[in-house]
Amino acid sequence: MTEGRPTAFADLTEAELRDALDREEYVADDDVVTTVLLALRLGKPLLVEGEPGAGKTELAKVLADGFGTELVRLQCYEGLTAENALYEWNYTKQLLAVQSGTDDGSVFTEEYLLERPLLRALRGGGERPPVLLVDEVDRADEAFEALLLEVLSDHQVSIPEYGTVAAETPPVVVLTSNRTRALSDALKRRCLYLHVSPPSFEKEREILARKVPELDGAIAAELCAMAERVREEPLRKPPGAAETIDWARAVATLRREGEPASLSPAEVRETIGCLLKEVEDVRRVDDDLLEALVEAAESARAEVTS
Amino acid sequence: MTDPVAGSDPPPFAEVRDFVREEVVRFVRSLRHAGVAVPANAGVTAARALVEVGFDDETRARAALRACLVADPDDAATFDRQFPEFWRRLTAGLSLSGPAPRDSDGPEGALAPLGADPSAEPPGTTPDDGGDGSADDGSDGAADSRTATERALVGSGLDGDDGEEGGEDDDLAAAWYSPVGQASEVTGIEGGRGGLVGSLEEAFSTLTPALHSLRGRRWRGDGDERADVRRALRASFGTGGTVLSVPRTERRLADVRALWFVDVSRSVLETVDRTLLLATLQYARSAWRDCRIVLFDEDAREVTDAFGEPTPSAALAALERAETEWGGGTRIGGSLASFHRTTPDAVDRRTVVFVVSDGLEMGDVGELEAELAWLSARARGVVWLNPLAAAPAYEPTAAGMASALPFLDGLFAFAAPADLAEVGRQLARNGLGGRIGYEYDPRRDRASA
Repeated sequence: MTEGRPTAFADLTEAELRDALDREEYVADDDVVTTVLLALRLGKPLLVEGEPGAGKTELAKVLADGFGTELVRLQCYEGLTAENALYEWNYTKQLLAVQSGTDDGSVFTEEYLLERPLLRALRGGGERPPVLLVDEVDRADEAFEALLLEVLSDHQVSIPEYGTVAAETPPVVVLTSNRTRALSDALKRRCLYLHVSPPSFEKEREILARKVPELDGAIAAELCAMAERVREEPLRKPPGAAETIDWARAVATLRREGEPASLSPAEVRETIGCLLKEVEDVRRVDDDLLEALVEAAESARAEVTS
Repeated sequence: MTDPVAGSDPPPFAEVRDFVREEVVRFVRSLRHAGVAVPANAGVTAARALVEVGFDDETRARAALRACLVADPDDAATFDRQFPEFWRRLTAGLSLSGPAPRDSDGPEGALAPLGADPSAEPPGTTPDDGGDGSADDGSDGAADSRTATERALVGSGLDGDDGEEGGEDDDLAAAWYSPVGQASEVTGIEGGRGGLVGSLEEAFSTLTPALHSLRGRRWRGDGDERADVRRALRASFGTGGTVLSVPRTERRLADVRALWFVDVSRSVLETVDRTLLLATLQYARSAWRDCRIVLFDEDAREVTDAFGEPTPSAALAALERAETEWGGGTRIGGSLASFHRTTPDAVDRRTVVFVVSDGLEMGDVGELEAELAWLSARARGVVWLNPLAAAPAYEPTAAGMASALPFLDGLFAFAAPADLAEVGRQLARNGLGGRIGYEYDPRRDRASA
């Protein structure tokens, strides 16, 4: 274990973290800031769970951008192997070297080593180590999860033919999960845990104000109110903040000068596909639900313009 | 922002270190006592986190400890309920006046209030000896004293007997139900006991490979016989680049993950063939790698272990118990919600969920929709087996069934082993999300004609 190993962010202050997030237009609640700050200071991996579109992946991206360091992304999927994630030998090059007799006695040297994301993250340490994003770790097999434990615990990897590669400074590790399967206790034990809930009305308004500044504030409030109302329905895929941003961008693009101030039911119906990504969910928006959405929108507009 | 020490400077940390450590340990123990799955080393991390964020801001301390001690959003509510008492004790202890008294301190030193009833027995610990015993004993004689379920299973090979007394197989070859007002006969289990076992084997020989064919990116349409190029190339280094043999990709046929969610309400038990139901569940439990079984009526109860016994008496007892305890209306949505709440990780994207129910929802249809939305998003697939759908005239017009339909990958009949074989056939041909279901069952067309 690497408890006590100095981390690059040991002296990071909350103000510095908030500045970094603000610069990247990431709207974070206080508990998110506290948890991320702890993960950075303690050098612990951060396991982020929540609905798709809640901003889990975005968090890793803004940390990398905000601190001016490299983002190394490992997208997990079923069947992901050590070769895909850690390192591979360049077999073709090795074979050619052996056949041509140009090798200097070994084909297991740096020259033939192909870095994959985990090795890249371990060897990329400098003053500011890279941010390693292990995205959707719940999609990978349990076997891969076990492999990941070694890297998370020791920040090193042993390559039998080459030796041990250890990180000089542990990378910042962010793991995301959609909870499609239970993660092992061993993995959870190594991580700090953060659950990202769907944004509140106010938070979503702030997100839209930052991400889609060209959109009228009252229209943004209408969209947020409707998104909040839609989330109350039993949907196959409830929309996250990412979908609301898509929707807002679509509305901002389609609306022309001189159009009515409020969103019309027709506009909502035409663009609702940006918010809902399952055909059953789109079909669910019948006249009754549309009416309820418009009512919610009107209330929100009245509230923000009063 | 709060001022935990009420105007006085907190003592140096070194002086209160033992106190803080003790309170953190007590808090961790208290959370575990309340059912929160606190990771093993979380107390150490929590103490470090507390030092990092300091003791002057409750909100910040709460967020820090939650990140360290809670690894499941379902446990967050318990944490939030217990944190104020921990904070009260901690901050009082940091002041010059010393630790605050505990509201009540249990024998194990847990925090108060615990938020859980320590006297409550964990679910599933009720004695069931009588159930097993009666089921086994009943087969020795006194057939009239048996329950309806036991009588239905006599001679089927599922009642714990060796089947020698037999003689009632013919009675088990048919079940009766009335989906559209007029009773009609379901004939599916031909040949009695032997026929059932043989038919089930045949059905599962179709269904199991079909479920395997649903596997995702790693297993495409090439099947199991694809050459494993990477392994072949690696092996060739040992022989100077010569490939001596070509390894093949492998997967085990039994690696099926399934959850059976079985409606045991009166309306279903009176229509479904109980012999077939129990035999199907037992077969699935033994043949597949990971198969969980949950019975529900007005609530849900997992009975997987009962179906794992070598003799079927435990399964029979489980069904009996469910029938005795509930035996009324059906709250499908409520039962799913209950199971979802207590066992949120039972379903993952590899799990195929089989719901056996007639879809007659007596509870809130909205809740059913919400739970099925969760289930369909989480599971690999949701297949609904409805005993009523065996009738040619069946249409899913009942409120519960109609509401559930958009969230299902397929709705099939469930009256005979051939129905399971049909599920397998359609899945193998069209996969989940394809044109599958009772309406594409060619037997239905023939019956209508």
